[in-house]
Amino acid sequence: MKRIRLERWSSQLLAARPGASPRAAPGAATPLCSPSYRQTPKELCLSRRRCQSTFAQPSDPIAEDEFLQSEPVDPAETVDPTENMSRFPPLDPTTAASARYPSPLPERALKSAKLAALHARLSLSEKIPLQTLARALVDSTADKNRQFNNTNLAFLGHTLINYHVSEYLMVRYPRLPMSIMYSAVAAYAGPDALHTLARQWGIETAAVPGGEVDPGLLQFATDKAPMVPTTFGSRRAEADYLDKFKWRRGINSRVVFDDDFGDVVQAAAPQDDAAARSADNNTALKPYGTPETRKIAETAHANAVRAVVGAVYAHCGREAVKAFVRSHVLSRQLDLSRLFAFKMPTRELSNLCAREEFEKPVARLLSETGRRSRTPVFVVGIYSGKDKLGEGAGPNLDAARWKAAMNALKAWYLYSPGEDVRVPSDMLVEDARPWEPAHIDIGEVI
Amino acid sequence: MEVQLQLSVRRAAAASRSCQSSTSLLSPRIPSRQQIRHQATSSRHKRALRVPPHPSFITSESTPKTDHIIFNPPSSEPSIFSTPFKFLPKNDPRRRANLPALFSSLAPAPTTNKLPPLLPFLPTPEQPKVHHLKPEDITEMRRLRAEDPVTNSVIALSNKFGCSKTFVMMCCHAPKEHQEKHRERLAGVRERWGPTRTKAREDRVRRKDMLLRGEL
Repeated sequence: MKRIRLERWSSQLLAARPGASPRAAPGAATPLCSPSYRQTPKELCLSRRRCQSTFAQPSDPIAEDEFLQSEPVDPAETVDPTENMSRFPPLDPTTAASARYPSPLPERALKSAKLAALHARLSLSEKIPLQTLARALVDSTADKNRQFNNTNLAFLGHTLINYHVSEYLMVRYPRLPMSIMYSAVAAYAGPDALHTLARQWGIETAAVPGGEVDPGLLQFATDKAPMVPTTFGSRRAEADYLDKFKWRRGINSRVVFDDDFGDVVQAAAPQDDAAARSADNNTALKPYGTPETRKIAETAHANAVRAVVGAVYAHCGREAVKAFVRSHVLSRQLDLSRLFAFKMPTRELSNLCAREEFEKPVARLLSETGRRSRTPVFVVGIYSGKDKLGEGAGPNLDAARWKAAMNALKAWYLYSPGEDVRVPSDMLVEDARPWEPAHIDIGEVI
Repeated sequence: MEVQLQLSVRRAAAASRSCQSSTSLLSPRIPSRQQIRHQATSSRHKRALRVPPHPSFITSESTPKTDHIIFNPPSSEPSIFSTPFKFLPKNDPRRRANLPALFSSLAPAPTTNKLPPLLPFLPTPEQPKVHHLKPEDITEMRRLRAEDPVTNSVIALSNKFGCSKTFVMMCCHAPKEHQEKHRERLAGVRERWGPTRTKAREDRVRRKDMLLRGEL
């Protein structure tokens, strides 16, 4: 059986309509700006529809979607905003044509310096066309047509990033408690972290989305509710009352009901009138935005990063996206020991020792200084039998003992089989070494 | 003349305070604060600061003649990322390699039976925890507490039954009215606290929270 050559698919993904674009020459991957790409937009410009997309031709269920029914806007009805303006330097004619649409036409991506710079800065493969990168920067709030916004790519990227991050954490730190696991996944792959990543990549935002803006700018609108990709989890029946009555969410129910980061799956935000929203979020009055607009911006940035990851997968395949996630998401520093908080560390440690059939833990005074002074220091070690489990220093005996117990528990939970531990997705490579089972822990101390 | 005399007397008093010498009373020019050397300057500045080097830095016959690495890290808290040997799972290669045995020359030998002393308030092998109370004792304790919570206070009961105050509080609850009265009394005491004590109490609670979150 032959392998599927994904790299040869990029031209098909790019021009989905059969016959709209010449096929790539068999046997060679299409270069980024080959003549065939340059000619394609010209042909497509003649037809007044946005027919070139990086979206594959929809099958029936998606075609009936309300998002597709509502778009595209009839260009004849829209007034061209750039028609009667004298401008120097004159706008590109494609810009004028593009202004009729909610997001820039895909062919303009080839002329955007910002987009090319972003492509080069991320060292993306040449198999990823600029058009796809441009589509990754159009948020669903800017253009609700799914053929032209990044919803699908973001969903794909969200799945991939979360898969790689949780796989890495599971194998690298097999004893992490579930709540710490959720925080760690969110710290690597949550919207906050991805927003920072987008900022570090140098993704800039357009003030207002529209067809005439540079395709290299991230486009989102603050007057609409953003799309948050949710791969699994379901809405709880009591979701409305959780905040109101401060109901507790146990970790078991979080595993079953909640999303990848252990957060409650929220219902789709009600589509209240955009006018009221935009009045609230008036940028002239509030230049730094409101908490709501900042949240929308954060989601848009995170979705752009996810969409870029999805694009890498769609055009370059599994191994490339794994390397991309490793180098951009997992390479970030996270001090896992800072995520822990305990209630009764000494009791938890003695429970652990009882469960694992170790000797009962006892606290021993290793050293002390200045017992009668204002600033004494006691160093206490926790021993189980003759083995020291943890050590802590504190200004009094109790504090030092708690700290030592906490350090012992952290040493238990942060056990790692090694730095270069193999993850299950390593086995997807051809001629991989046989798999050695990873360590699976029996679970956290209760 | 009188003014001058007064001035000189005042100066003399100041001088006697500073130098404790009566001779300055006679001298017309009062010397400024006199320096007294209690310790040799060279001793403070040189000899006391002359710390002998760590043994690992001293070249002796046993040190290799070629370039080598001196490993002498500053004392610090052990890292929690180095898992104690006991916590390694059964199938971990480090356990199989039995690294502590290999590096026994580096670490202090575990064969010595001398372990550091236990904390003073914890039960020792000589004074182990005693579980001498029977269920009927606890029933009796509850009865007494319910009967007269004022006479049979937590301290009185712990003395009577020979157990800790925590254990008494785990076993029995005072009647509601007594608890209410007690709470009111505590609130009254708290009201009398000044800002310093209030802040100190709040800080103590905050410090414990920070400790448990690992921020201290």
